[in-house]
Amino acid sequence: MTNQQTEQVKLNLLANIDQIIHTPARLMVLTYLYVVESADYVFLMRLTGLTWGNLFTHLTKLEDAGYITIEKTFKGKKPYTIIHLSDQGRNAFREYKKSMKQVLDDLPD
Amino acid sequence: MSQKISLRQAEHKVFRTAFNHGLWDVFIGSIVLQFAIAPLLSSSLGDFWSSAVFLPFWALVFVVICLVRKYIVTPRIGFVKFGQSRKIRLAKFTAVMLVVNLVVFIIGIFFALNYNVTSGWIHTALFGFAVLVMSSIAAYFLNFTRLFIYGLLFLLSLLVGEWLYVNFKISHHGFPITFGITAGIIIITGLVLFFRLIREYPIPIKESISEEKIG
Repeated sequence: MTNQQTEQVKLNLLANIDQIIHTPARLMVLTYLYVVESADYVFLMRLTGLTWGNLFTHLTKLEDAGYITIEKTFKGKKPYTIIHLSDQGRNAFREYKKSMKQVLDDLPD
Repeated sequence: MSQKISLRQAEHKVFRTAFNHGLWDVFIGSIVLQFAIAPLLSSSLGDFWSSAVFLPFWALVFVVICLVRKYIVTPRIGFVKFGQSRKIRLAKFTAVMLVVNLVVFIIGIFFALNYNVTSGWIHTALFGFAVLVMSSIAAYFLNFTRLFIYGLLFLLSLLVGEWLYVNFKISHHGFPITFGITAGIIIITGLVLFFRLIREYPIPIKESISEEKIG
């Protein structure tokens, strides 16, 4: 493979970066979910610093992509939401990490 | 590498957020308080009962802490279940603490059997160092760095207490003063953290609206 071809492959990698994950807020949510088994809505809100509405929007996008599962239960009479990273989300996050590393590692300082 | 570091930092942040409510500091402070009050009670209750009387007190503090955590802290900071790596870390911590406790127990028995040939200073220093080692291990494994400072304060309380007793003949080896100050510092630290959490994290008022949307 020529240098030009290699460069092209790397640029393609950048173009194929997962856009669902590649947003600061969603990346933050996935990063925290990656290191825990599950977290509730309030905990994620406190960690990420996002507002209720903002977090809700991002969680919906992640759920639609199949990256997280939202389990809705009740604690007494109050609704209680627990969020898990799905296997698909875990794999997508790993893949994203690998792709970003590949792209960023080769950039000149 | 930078990815690894940031994931580790994320994990530490999760752990700190879940445990930085100050309630465990209050519990540790209440344990240290025993070393300040028990010597004062020993003349009337005897050595065993002056310490044993604290068991129901600790149980009460523990129950109160669990209730405060459930009804005041969790609604404010939320709830998290830790991942596999943290569980492995906790298992390692338990194993290391068992070994350290066993070693300290054996050393303790050795010195108890040879009590006459060793001075009170050696006993005091060894006990203090054992507590410091255990608190440092806990601080490392639990990412609870204040435990190291508390271990250091515990050691200092023992040594300064002995020093006060030897030089100024302060009663009860000076422990009511030194451990009283240490317990006070630890409990106040815990209370400051707790009230700061209450102030900084009010119960989210939009919870029901957003959660209804999710459902």
